[in-house]
Amino acid sequence: MNLRLHIWRQAGPDATGMLKTYDVANVSEHMSFLEMLDVLNEDLIGKGEIPIAFDHDCREGICGTCGMVINGRPHGPVAKTTVCQLHMRTFKDGDEIYIEPWRARAFPVMRDLIVDRGSFDRIMQTGGFISVNTGNAQDGNTLPISKINADHAMDAAACIGCGACVAACPNSSAMLFTAAKVGHLGALPQGQTERSTRAMNMVLQMDVEGFGACTNHLECEAACPKGISVEFIAQMNRDYVASVFGGRD
Amino acid sequence: MRAFGDVWRSNIFQKWVMALTGLMLVLFLIAHLTGNLLIFMGAEHMNEYGHSLRELLHGSAIWLARGGLLVAFVLHVWSAILLTRRNRAARPQKYVKTDWRTSTMASRSMALSGLLILVYVLYHLAHFTLGTVHSQYYAGQTGWEYTLANGTVVPDVYRMVIASFQEPLITTLYVLSMVLLGLHLNHAVASAFQTLGVTNRRISPLVRFLGPVLGIGVALGFCSLPLAVIAGLVH
Repeated sequence: MNLRLHIWRQAGPDATGMLKTYDVANVSEHMSFLEMLDVLNEDLIGKGEIPIAFDHDCREGICGTCGMVINGRPHGPVAKTTVCQLHMRTFKDGDEIYIEPWRARAFPVMRDLIVDRGSFDRIMQTGGFISVNTGNAQDGNTLPISKINADHAMDAAACIGCGACVAACPNSSAMLFTAAKVGHLGALPQGQTERSTRAMNMVLQMDVEGFGACTNHLECEAACPKGISVEFIAQMNRDYVASVFGGRD
Repeated sequence: MRAFGDVWRSNIFQKWVMALTGLMLVLFLIAHLTGNLLIFMGAEHMNEYGHSLRELLHGSAIWLARGGLLVAFVLHVWSAILLTRRNRAARPQKYVKTDWRTSTMASRSMALSGLLILVYVLYHLAHFTLGTVHSQYYAGQTGWEYTLANGTVVPDVYRMVIASFQEPLITTLYVLSMVLLGLHLNHAVASAFQTLGVTNRRISPLVRFLGPVLGIGVALGFCSLPLAVIAGLVH
């Protein structure tokens, strides 16, 4: 199939970016979206032009590195799919496709489709961990966890930190990401000791980074490649206010 | 514990302020609507109700309610301005193309519908409570007294409502504002419960159903007054 792509090109963090139009011919429907961009880049390199910069790593939908907004939807039109797992059979011959980077003040564009997601790392550094004295691994089953809690924690831990929730949110809010991390550790016994300071510190860091506030559009849940539920946001709202009124520091 | 200032300024705390004050205002709306619907029971009931509101607790109840409402309203608007500004600032560069999946026109225009409702509330108070606009219909003017069955002379609120809604301008503004209010509530109610964290997998469907039901119910309830007046059902 033949496609017309409108891709955001920006030379650097402070450069002015703009959409540039590229025609790609003979795209196989079996290609992933990233492979299609690889083909375009080969072509650009052959012509002596600068290839399009985009983030990617595992290309099997589990690492959270790739991500771009395709026709107004983070990771493209297919639900619960990362862009590396999006296949060209989703599109048809002659389609025009708009490709833009994640847009948020807290995710500054580095180059073309690559954004700096260091703000997520800094949120994690304020509370996305448990403090334990390391040593030998403890014996199996010494810390019983019910199936319900284990499943609940796993639902949240499925977050790969790609940032699609922020990209999808009309307010560029990082609530779903942060709530998944708070909810994951909060569902397990190991996470209870620091539960209240974790919610407090991660929420305040989220504000410091300049993410917006949640207005409950639920766009994040719809865009999340792992289908993380907004029920974790409700739980983080509870945990945060509980830590305001009863928390220890 | 963190300094209270840090917490107070945080987005989630401001959202709690907005949700709690918003739910207070929804409760007020339901009470207000219940009072309004007394119009269908006739002048005696409505005027007596209006009189009893002003007399309750020797006249102090209405001022307590007004004080509470003013605080709720100011905090609601304050948090709305603060959060809207932050949300706008969080995405300095807009997308060229957007394709929304779950958000609605109502949910994305809460600030606008809220602002228009605020303007309407001020106008509404100037009309029905203060009598500074449309003063020819004001119930407090001389010649508009109503004598209750027990002999008390009170302002004829019933007549004020009927006379006002016979004016096309008043009715049009009223109906338009109630449609905006319905749209606002449509998103607001479910959103408030989610922010307060009372939702979970079982409750969420119920809460998301409650918003549109309350939005449509409140808007239709209020609109029933002018429509009944135009249709000549109450006179």
